[in-house]
Amino acid sequence: MRIADLGQTRLQCSLAGRGLYLRTGPFTSRIQSPIASVARSIESLYRDFEVADSQGFYDFHCELRAPRSHRRFYRPQVLFLSDRRSVFKPLAYHQAYPMLEWGLNWCIANQVPHRLVLHAAALERDGKALILPAPPGSGKSTLCAALAHHGWRLLTDESVLVDLATSEVSGPARPVSLKNDSIRVIRDACPSAVLSTPIADTLKGAVAHMRPPTDAVRRGHETARPGWIVFPRYQPGAPTRLKPRTAGSGFMQLIANAFNYAALGARGFHSAGRLVEQSACFDFSYSRLDEAIEQFDRLADGR
Amino acid sequence: MDADTALHLALARPESMAERSAAEWAPLLAAARESALLGTLWHLADDAGLAEDLPEPVASHLWGAALIAEHRSQALVWELHRLAEGLLSRMSPGVALKGAAYLAAGLPNARGRLANDIDLLFPRSEVERAEKLLFFEGWSGTHHNVYDQRYYREWMHELPPLVHQHRGTTLDLHHNILPETFRGHPDPARLRQQSQALPEPFRFRVLCPAHLVLHAIVHLFSETEWDRGLRDLYDIHVLLDHFGARDGDAFWEHFVAEAEALNIAWMAERALWTANRLLLTEIPPEPVKRLARARAGIALRGLGRWSFVHGLHTRAGSITPRRDAVARGMLFLRGHWLKMPAGLLARHLFHKAFLAEKPETATAQPQPDQHG
Repeated sequence: MRIADLGQTRLQCSLAGRGLYLRTGPFTSRIQSPIASVARSIESLYRDFEVADSQGFYDFHCELRAPRSHRRFYRPQVLFLSDRRSVFKPLAYHQAYPMLEWGLNWCIANQVPHRLVLHAAALERDGKALILPAPPGSGKSTLCAALAHHGWRLLTDESVLVDLATSEVSGPARPVSLKNDSIRVIRDACPSAVLSTPIADTLKGAVAHMRPPTDAVRRGHETARPGWIVFPRYQPGAPTRLKPRTAGSGFMQLIANAFNYAALGARGFHSAGRLVEQSACFDFSYSRLDEAIEQFDRLADGR
Repeated sequence: MDADTALHLALARPESMAERSAAEWAPLLAAARESALLGTLWHLADDAGLAEDLPEPVASHLWGAALIAEHRSQALVWELHRLAEGLLSRMSPGVALKGAAYLAAGLPNARGRLANDIDLLFPRSEVERAEKLLFFEGWSGTHHNVYDQRYYREWMHELPPLVHQHRGTTLDLHHNILPETFRGHPDPARLRQQSQALPEPFRFRVLCPAHLVLHAIVHLFSETEWDRGLRDLYDIHVLLDHFGARDGDAFWEHFVAEAEALNIAWMAERALWTANRLLLTEIPPEPVKRLARARAGIALRGLGRWSFVHGLHTRAGSITPRRDAVARGMLFLRGHWLKMPAGLLARHLFHKAFLAEKPETATAQPQPDQHG
């Protein structure tokens, strides 16, 4: 059963009741929330995702609700709880849905010990993974959203999962988070993309989420072999430029973007090492999205 | 079965894990994660021959946690060797406590245990010399304001924690196992005298079996925050089981005698009751009978036991969250009441509430946007 088959009423009932068991890639999240905007956003953005058995296993338990204090009435707020514990500072009530996305990212970063988890976007083409590790503001998500509509299969825009034994790459294929100007850029570049209504005034400015393409969701369990590791940098006015990077410096930059590299010790080292050895590393600077898409087409075709 | 009961049972009778359904496993994992016991469950399941039969995602979470614990242990042993080979070798060997001791002595509770910091015990007259020597190896102090310095150096049983400048490891230098101001406090010379040398290549010593368990007991039953208490109770359970099976009555005899000599028989009595109640720890009748003298009066006994049981529930797995919150509040007050005489406590709480700078601690909640 998929979210689309569930229908609005049953979706709201499970969210407000024992929880929606949502399957995203290799994980099942149990999500509870009485908040209408959360239900609406899930209905639209997770349309193609599978609903898991509510008598079965879940990896993460998330809850979004108002605090049990005067702040549920006066300038209302929302809390994100993981395993019944609030993990973030509260946000304004209307930001509940972005908070769910951030919270699910937090769960993967903090509660997945059996894989190397990278703070990066990833896409797949012909069985090979393109990993885009980068700090916020580098245009990683914009690039990821655009490529997801131009021949690449979306793996993730935020948390890349690397198998510790094989270094195969996968991701939960959840909605892509877009901020400020990138919302307009993606609307222009990808007319078929479905975006949520932007929410203004979050900590990052305006935020909207893009529904992952149906094919990416249906193939969410398929892993990809290491292919390319590209460190993107958006610079206004810069020419499109793809420059090879040595494996050593690629490795160092990659682990700087890993959540649990240090915790995994030698296994993390070997997993990241194998990933870099089997990938080609590049630095990429760009300002024009259409040229960037062409560049990545050439990369995939080996030109 | 509720998740807390299932977790207690998994620790007490690992073969019970075979009976858990997928729906029971999810909250059980959350409760174990909260108590830092995921890695421990992996080893228990593996030893019981269940590792192959666990549902795939359950096995992944447990196995991954055991990996992380294994790496932490390796790092801690490495750090212990550095310390032993360094300037501390100019002093008589210190006594490794808690996680470091379990690991170095190869005790069964060390496997899968998430070791945090290193704890070393020195005589009071030497502990500040150790601190000065360690400074030259990159260990620097924390808690720099005057009040905190005095709090640690005059009233506590340890110096302000040291943190390694490059590696971020935390090292606590102790001169006793309970604060100076604690109600009834043990003679640390007795602990050091009976301590045992570790096998080569470790230069440190460890407490004798009875003291090792008593320290685990003191650590939990003097605590103000019982948040990860179940892990401590599991340490007590495994150590009692291990030494009881190895040394039999001789161990129990020594355990009771030392509890009395160190003025902590009353804490031992509460610990044995709680371990037996929650983790089904087998305790022979003789020590129970002898420690019965240290029981609380009938009115307080029930209340105390009720708060230990509820205080050891997890937030993720409990079905009695309101009662647990009351119990945690009571344990918080109890811990402070034990820690300091009333006058000093009033002064300390007044300072913390109104005068102390609010620290930017690592436990402060992050902004959610760091994840997306």
